[in-house]
Amino acid sequence: MSTRKSKVKLLKNMPGVVRASIDPFLVRATNNPERIMFILHRVTGVIIVLYLFLHIYVTSNTIDSARWNSLMEQFGASIVNKIGEFIVAGAVIFHGLNGIRLLLVEFFGVGIGKPEHPKPPYIAPSLRAAQRKAIYIVAVLSVVGWIIAGILIFTGYLELPL
Amino acid sequence: MVARSKFQELLAATRQPPKEVTIRVKRYDPETGKVWYQDYKVKTFRGMTILDALLQIKEKIDHTIVMRYSCRMGVCGSCGVVVNKKPSLACQTQIAAVASEDKPIVVVEPLYNFPIIRDLVADFGDFFNKHRAIKPYIIRKDPDEVEKGEREFIMDPHDLHEIYEYSLCIMCGLCYSACPVSAGDPLYLGPQALAQAYRFIADVRDEGYEERIKIVDTEHGCHRCHFAATCSAVCPKMVDPASAIQRLRKIVFMKTLGFWKKKKITQIAGPLKEPLRQIEAKYAVENILEGVDPEEQAKREEKIDLEL
Amino acid sequence: MIIMARSSRLNIWQYITAILLILVLGFHLAERIPGLSPLGVESYEESLEAHKVETAYNKYSIILSILLITALFHGLNGLRGILLEYRQTSNWTLLVNIIIIVLFLGFLAFGFRTIYIHIASP
Repeated sequence: MSTRKSKVKLLKNMPGVVRASIDPFLVRATNNPERIMFILHRVTGVIIVLYLFLHIYVTSNTIDSARWNSLMEQFGASIVNKIGEFIVAGAVIFHGLNGIRLLLVEFFGVGIGKPEHPKPPYIAPSLRAAQRKAIYIVAVLSVVGWIIAGILIFTGYLELPL
Repeated sequence: MVARSKFQELLAATRQPPKEVTIRVKRYDPETGKVWYQDYKVKTFRGMTILDALLQIKEKIDHTIVMRYSCRMGVCGSCGVVVNKKPSLACQTQIAAVASEDKPIVVVEPLYNFPIIRDLVADFGDFFNKHRAIKPYIIRKDPDEVEKGEREFIMDPHDLHEIYEYSLCIMCGLCYSACPVSAGDPLYLGPQALAQAYRFIADVRDEGYEERIKIVDTEHGCHRCHFAATCSAVCPKMVDPASAIQRLRKIVFMKTLGFWKKKKITQIAGPLKEPLRQIEAKYAVENILEGVDPEEQAKREEKIDLEL
Repeated sequence: MIIMARSSRLNIWQYITAILLILVLGFHLAERIPGLSPLGVESYEESLEAHKVETAYNKYSIILSILLITALFHGLNGLRGILLEYRQTSNWTLLVNIIIIVLFLGFLAFGFRTIYIHIASP
């Protein structure tokens, strides 16, 4: 856009979308868990999409019951698959819960506070509003949900392995 | 919890900084294309800012270092740099707040997501063009109302309050530098331009919201925002672009669905019904000193000798 | 600015599918949970057995169809957003759009094929 570009060699100083989507320490702003949530949301989203492709392919085997049963037996025997399933379960739980928060904030525009006159200590209203509390709720519920999913996946039952 | 961490940050700024700090500056030479980090040892004083340190380096140690600054008091927004990976205004960042006795090193880099001209100077051309693209001025259906400007527009204090926060933007580019979307997408309008778009769409005096919504409703407009809210966390003027973009996006969605209509558009103020009341100036009737007549005192001639 | 199309329509669908997914995917996952499952399973492994899966396909084929469409749309549109942030030339945008549409239609057809075979042969 600027005409000076042709004369002066400018240094491109952009970290790129990949680094911005996976590195939570790219910008070390204090008081900003939203960024960690953004990174987790994006990473879990990609995990789920890749799983979705695999899932649609694998479930096509259900048309043959014998093959499906032997496939599931093979699948259950391997701990690597179980761990993979556990990761996907955690990704789905987090993405869903954080998705509800983002739906409220981005689509319905609630939970971001009201405009106000700046006064010390100058923390923006959206960083103090209901969505910030929602972040903590999402974090706690995700961990709880992930533990429950882990119990279900590794033991097969919803009982505490005591 | 949040307020306390911010408070700690403010409190750190009041402390005595380490006697000597190392300022590590990321430098760039456009002629050779070389990028390197250079260390400078700077003797500090209480209340020293990053800008003070940079100016001291330029004055006493290395004259080739280049930075941009103007007002030195956080008003002009030209001294934005990245200090210890956090975009900040150099003039508002105390050395005591970013360096400690244990770690007396401050890393100063040019703003991320901007093309760099030299050392710490970023090219704001695209940034300003994006700001220009969203038409940051009052648009009326009858342009004469603005251009001739015979009378003012009516605006309640309440209406002002709705947009006042967003109108404080000084265009320092810190939000743009912190944004994870701008980090990869140079066409993304950026938090600053989108916040200003909301500021003008929400302004009761403005009638140009249709054109502005068309400008922001693109693949590289408001829909690329993912609410990482780092823009609001680094803003030195508490403009809160993150909330502005969410409000803007809600308006865009509701407009597309046909539920949104601008609630209030004010008209130009009519001519005065009667001339302004004129108040006759009078001296105070009761003086604090007893027995002194103010009228008489005013008449008294006082000889003031100006020649020293 | 290369593209000046209105992208709000697409993004509204992104949020509508998000709401649908919370409900539909919630149901789909509940099928696996003993005690909650509409299939009446007693363990996680049992919910993956062939006859249970067969029942799930026949009984809840509409829910599965909705899940297939919404999950594919939501996921691929999200992926498209990331890819558009990656590079901005008009060729890249066109390529991304074509790949996403092909993937969407391909997986949609493949998924519906599985559902259709299940309904057709009870």
